[in-house]
Amino acid sequence: MAEARALNQPGLLWQNRKGFLSAHTVDITGGLLFLLLAIFIVWPVITVLVKGVFGPEGFTLEFFREFFTAYYYQSFLNTLLLGVLTTSVCITAGFCIAYMTTRGPRFLRIPLKGITLLPLIAPPYIFALSLIMLLGRSGFITKAFNLGWDIFGFPGCVIAQTLAFLPLAYLIIENTLSSLDPSLEDSAANLGASEGKILRSVTIPLLTPSFLKAILIVYVMAVAEFGNVAILCGRTPFLAPDIYTIVTGVEHDFNMAGVLSMFLVLPCVIIFMIQDYLIRGKGYVTVSGKPISAEPRHMTPHILIPMIVISFIACGLILLSFGVVGVGAFTKLVGIDNTFTLSHILDWRANEALINSLKVSLLAGLFGALLGVLIAYVVIRGKFRGRSALEGLYLAGFTLPGTVLGLGYLFAFNNPPLLLTGTMIILVINCLFRFAAVGMEAGITKLQQLSIEVEEASLNLGASTVTTFRRIVLPIIFPAAMYGFMYVFMTTMVSLSAVVFLTSPGSPLASVFIFQWAQYGYIGLASATVVKLVVIVGICLAIIQYMSKWTGLSITRRG
Amino acid sequence: MGDERKSMLVLDDIHKSFGEVQALRGVSTDVKEGELVTFLGPSGCGKTTLLRVISGLTKSDSGKIVLEGRVINDVTPDKRNVQLCFQSYALFPHLTVAGNIRYGLEVHKWKKERIKERVEELLHLVHLDGLGNRRIDELSGGQQQRVAVARALALEPKVLLLDELFSNLDANLRVQMRTTLHEIQRRVNITTIFVTHDQVEAMTISDRLIVMNQGIIEQVGAPIEIYEKPNNEFIASFIGYVNILKGEVKSTGKDTEPATVSTELGDLEILSSEKDIKAGREVYLIIRPETVYIGSLEEAIEVNKFKGTIKSIMYAGSTVKYVVDIEGRDLFIDQYDPTTLGIRSMGDKVVVTIPRNVHILKE
Repeated sequence: MAEARALNQPGLLWQNRKGFLSAHTVDITGGLLFLLLAIFIVWPVITVLVKGVFGPEGFTLEFFREFFTAYYYQSFLNTLLLGVLTTSVCITAGFCIAYMTTRGPRFLRIPLKGITLLPLIAPPYIFALSLIMLLGRSGFITKAFNLGWDIFGFPGCVIAQTLAFLPLAYLIIENTLSSLDPSLEDSAANLGASEGKILRSVTIPLLTPSFLKAILIVYVMAVAEFGNVAILCGRTPFLAPDIYTIVTGVEHDFNMAGVLSMFLVLPCVIIFMIQDYLIRGKGYVTVSGKPISAEPRHMTPHILIPMIVISFIACGLILLSFGVVGVGAFTKLVGIDNTFTLSHILDWRANEALINSLKVSLLAGLFGALLGVLIAYVVIRGKFRGRSALEGLYLAGFTLPGTVLGLGYLFAFNNPPLLLTGTMIILVINCLFRFAAVGMEAGITKLQQLSIEVEEASLNLGASTVTTFRRIVLPIIFPAAMYGFMYVFMTTMVSLSAVVFLTSPGSPLASVFIFQWAQYGYIGLASATVVKLVVIVGICLAIIQYMSKWTGLSITRRG
Repeated sequence: MGDERKSMLVLDDIHKSFGEVQALRGVSTDVKEGELVTFLGPSGCGKTTLLRVISGLTKSDSGKIVLEGRVINDVTPDKRNVQLCFQSYALFPHLTVAGNIRYGLEVHKWKKERIKERVEELLHLVHLDGLGNRRIDELSGGQQQRVAVARALALEPKVLLLDELFSNLDANLRVQMRTTLHEIQRRVNITTIFVTHDQVEAMTISDRLIVMNQGIIEQVGAPIEIYEKPNNEFIASFIGYVNILKGEVKSTGKDTEPATVSTELGDLEILSSEKDIKAGREVYLIIRPETVYIGSLEEAIEVNKFKGTIKSIMYAGSTVKYVVDIEGRDLFIDQYDPTTLGIRSMGDKVVVTIPRNVHILKE
């Protein structure tokens, strides 16, 4: 990648000619992007973190001392443990399904893959809703079998998070597994290795970098995730919901929220460093190449059966959850009054929230796409120092826990001149800065394909720089912009963790609306809104899929 | 050919389909002990599938695979005693050179000291002494290929299968590796089945060629047989460059007398080993470009000599490839040694001599 970028740097178009954007303009744009980054990502985060060490009397470690009192410290440990549990289960399930869909019987491949990816079109907390309906205090199963037990606490959080993050884990592992030359495994088999031995000595060692990547992403997401945990935590304390409670509840303790945020960001930073060290230090063999449709492998029962069982359980739970939420949307009061009703679906309050979400998502998508492409452009074409830092910081914004960035916006934009709290603008800005990195990465990939020779060729053929931009650069970068738009749009539609701090009570977003009604126990209304949201996002995904065929940018390449 | 050696591998009517595609449509053949046999054919002719079937990595739909008299259809790939070298080499990128060669030995639980000895022995055999601790990506293509061969030979298989082994190498290295492989094969005297689409490669290294097309065997024979006496047009044009002339037999020669065939160029006298050509029959004549002679216009026009004009010239070092237009019909002619014989010019009028020894296609 470094080489490809180096090739692109001294752009003839930008260096020797008066271009559509001169080198100077690119540099100024780069400076502007740094400024935006500082205002909308760095500053809010610092505002939150500083709250942890600055009280009314100036610098203090008092809040830290308080943190280590039993409750919050326990919350921190619980969050770390939740991350470990969710990551282990999620990666195991993701690997089994990926193995089945790339090496298993052909008739299982498409159904398993389809079901595993289904959660992508739903808000992550769909699983919290379905688990409450099934195994909550008055859930279908709890009542039917008269269980004296419910799902709240660790079990619920781990299951819900596992299912919510399964598509990501699956996509990362599957991506490598499908590019792994099947002749390596064939060759091991030919040399006498059993299926188990092949897995241990060939397949898994070669997947190590993907495993590390998947572990990192799932762990960071599990630690930072808000929706499922907040709905399902019960009496078990976790950091993200605790921050929400102490900020919005009676306590109003912003300083402790600052400390908790630090401890929420800390594991993410540490695990990033570990991963970076592992991947750089050990020089793992990376698998690259085109995906190959491998012939189904002959699997011995002691490999096949556990893999099938795990895959089927995961996919079964996903289907069940979607089904249950679908049923919940048309049931008066799940578990108590199981009669059919249309009142939830017809509830006008949900429609208002959905329209708000659509507005915010469209705006965030539009500006997020522009921002993403602009950064990509500057990173590839600019010649000033710190271009890669620009990319890295925007990526960091993408991986920061939403709770922290939501809180940061709440603190940072509460005063003039940037008094934005309570407006729709703050929601748009928050989402576009958090999610623009995906469009940026797509843009960088696309621009890297546009080697400087292509531009030289165009100029050489007599085209003006404007024509070169219009006929060569624009068509290449346009798909990335469209892709960035769809990603920001979709994610904003379902995102909860940050916007939950930023919506004004009068005009909530759909995700916040669902979350709040679910918290109050209005599962039917929440489910009905989820159903509508899934339909809207599903339509968008269909458009992305169509576009990815058209543009060659696959959404599965994201991992 | 009356080969006295015993059969190592017998294939009997092997069929294999992938959905609608029939990859193998009844392949039968017999490979002798210590022999190097090449399956030659265009891509997609089923040769790689055949190797996978022999190795057991792919199951055939029907037919028998017999190794040393034992039917091995249901023997799993790890117990077949047949080793496949993949086109991509399929070397384990996370293991060292020695780690790769050792892999099969470890799986078969050889003793440590024996493994060590065997690895050294194999590294020596493939000329990679001292490179055991290298990472795979530190090796050149030719070295990687020799690691693949060493790994396959480690367990002393009965049969070695090589799939398009040289296709990833550049032209010079390819020639060099052919020699190395030939030498290794002779040294270990292992029954080897080679698969390629490169006819020069196939002819230079093989004892016997098996030409395949669209899932069936077209012809089996020594390289010279296949080259000089191809069974049909496909083989004739697949094995080298060829002129195919359509003609009608005018008269058949008695005993040693030549037969006369009227072709697009005019009448040709040919001596054929084919005894059953009858007058009036339509035939195809196979004329290899290097057998045709180009002479000056002063030569007297007699039998098998035709006047023509040089239409195209391609200089290729050891040869010059001409296209000569004879009465509107293009004839490919290779002339060796341009250094001594010189090169003609475009538009030159020449006299072309077609040899009497011409192969007639049976069909």
